[in-house]
Amino acid sequence: MRKRTLKRGLTAFWWLTLVFLYLPLAVVVLFSFNAANSAASMTGLSLRWYHQLFANDQIMSAFGNTLVLALTSSLIALVIGCLIGYGMYRHRHRKLGWLIVLIYLPIVLPDIVFGISEMAFFVKIHELTGLLGPGLGTMIIAHVTFQIPFVALIVYSRFVGLDPSLFEAAKDLYASPLKRVVHFMLPTIKPALISAFFLSFTLSVDDFVISFFTSGPESATLPIYIWGAIKKGVSPEINAIATLMIAAVALAALASLVVNRRKA
Amino acid sequence: MTETSTAERHSQRRDEPHEGARPGDDAAGSERTASAIHMQGLHKRFGASTVALDGVDLTIEAGEFFTLLGPSGCGKTTLLRILAGLEEADQGRLTIGERDVTEVAPHHRSVNTVFQSYALFPHLSVRDNLAFGLKMRGVDRAEREARVQRIAEFIQLGDLIDRRIDQLSGGQRQRIALARALVCEPDVLLLDEPLSALDAGLRSQLQVELLRVQKRLGMTFVFVTHDQDEAMVMSDRIAVLNGGTIQQVGPPREVYERPVNAFVARFMGHANLYPISARQGLRVTTELGELELEPDLATTEQGSGELLLIRPETLDVRLGRHEGVNHLIGRITERLYRGSHAEFRLTVGDTTLQATINNRGRRLPEVGDEVTLVVAPEDLVTVAN
Repeated sequence: MRKRTLKRGLTAFWWLTLVFLYLPLAVVVLFSFNAANSAASMTGLSLRWYHQLFANDQIMSAFGNTLVLALTSSLIALVIGCLIGYGMYRHRHRKLGWLIVLIYLPIVLPDIVFGISEMAFFVKIHELTGLLGPGLGTMIIAHVTFQIPFVALIVYSRFVGLDPSLFEAAKDLYASPLKRVVHFMLPTIKPALISAFFLSFTLSVDDFVISFFTSGPESATLPIYIWGAIKKGVSPEINAIATLMIAAVALAALASLVVNRRKA
Repeated sequence: MTETSTAERHSQRRDEPHEGARPGDDAAGSERTASAIHMQGLHKRFGASTVALDGVDLTIEAGEFFTLLGPSGCGKTTLLRILAGLEEADQGRLTIGERDVTEVAPHHRSVNTVFQSYALFPHLSVRDNLAFGLKMRGVDRAEREARVQRIAEFIQLGDLIDRRIDQLSGGQRQRIALARALVCEPDVLLLDEPLSALDAGLRSQLQVELLRVQKRLGMTFVFVTHDQDEAMVMSDRIAVLNGGTIQQVGPPREVYERPVNAFVARFMGHANLYPISARQGLRVTTELGELELEPDLATTEQGSGELLLIRPETLDVRLGRHEGVNHLIGRITERLYRGSHAEFRLTVGDTTLQATINNRGRRLPEVGDEVTLVVAPEDLVTVAN
């Protein structure tokens, strides 16, 4: 009897947690379809904010920037992070534990510290060389730097989960170093690469702080645009952007999950 | 009984000409010749203090089923990995066939390995696993497919060919791993404890299968195991290793019945070993008393610290007291009944020894019984300490 009560209590707690997590999101999504001008009341369903959204050049350019930034930085981070992950795997038996900590550090470092450092660095470089003026370029570099650790760790853990004899079997079965990469390593870690890409993409779309410190006048992304717009008050348009972003991130996360499931 | 049949089978296999056949090839007269392996002064260290191989000289004949046997850390796996090219010797030379391969990379050697964990590629189907080596070697698609099909039928797993690796049982994986190596038709096949992950029944079934495959192909097989029973069942010859050196090389009967030292004697099976305190002609004195050896053993060199070896199954255990040559009076202190046979622990004076008796349905001695142990002079062996 008591056991059943406890079980019911825990189930209720679980649902409560979900509500706590998703209710605010649900409100945003709901109000993005609101026909009224203010968030005070819900007068009916309409797609007018979405129409306005797509007619707004500033938003569309921010959307384009977000997409270009996320795609480019994720692809670059994928290549570099994959190499680092393999390097970490190959040298896992050496006493290089502190190097692995170095890889972890950007993950736990506060974004604001990271963002300010990147900005200060780019400004200095710009003063000295005239290169790396604030814009999409600096943002891509900044995003790549915080994406690399995630990619490296995902790739590393995939390699660690493999039977080490597989590497030897590939050698034993006449695969040259290049063929080992093409026919064994890349296909074997493909699921990890795909999920690392989606994670990087999500992180990039998600990021505000680091983007804010490294962006230029022409390179506002959606989060930066929202932040600017919100100073003039929350318009229902913002709800529509937020809804689209929730949908995009959820899709990416879902895709990464599906790929991970399939890899077994 | 078993020993005689082992010996028969053994001599039969030695006399048989090894006909080189391709795996799964029905047409006779295919020209494959097996390769011999020569190892000279192989040394290998790991780090500063671990000596894995300490000067190994060994010749493995073409077409031989050769086993490297020893406890873990004896260097047998390191030796196999050097043969595969996965490890490089610090010193020494290695020749396979006519070719010096001491410094040749694994993907340039005509040697294939069956790994202990099978190491089947998880991202590939059975078919693509089997074809991997051929593909890497640049064998064209049509021939590749034909050879994969042939090998799959040869090991009777044709119907599994489109499965994923994770859909296979342990025994099936083992066979696929074997087939993946055989399909490349290497000069030498290396097997790293390939049966150790399987349960006892499947294991003995695959031992027989492996032996048939080797016999039919006439390929040189180098097999690594720590299981002396497996080594004796499978091998033409066995090399017993310990501490990075070869202790003894010989056919199974020789290694088991005429071990050169106490380590080999103990490793190959249960061994009663007693220091020899005095020796006069054919008579040796140990703590068991005086025992008589057979004439041709008496001529072997009398090194210091020699031991007398009595295998438990060579002791005849008779109830009661009897008199005669090599008769010892003892008492049973422990009995382990094993169905087909029973193991006894006995004391003769203050000395303990083990005896094994086949269960012939007669009354087995009980704990506390006084018995007479009889051992034939030809079953006694002296070994170095």
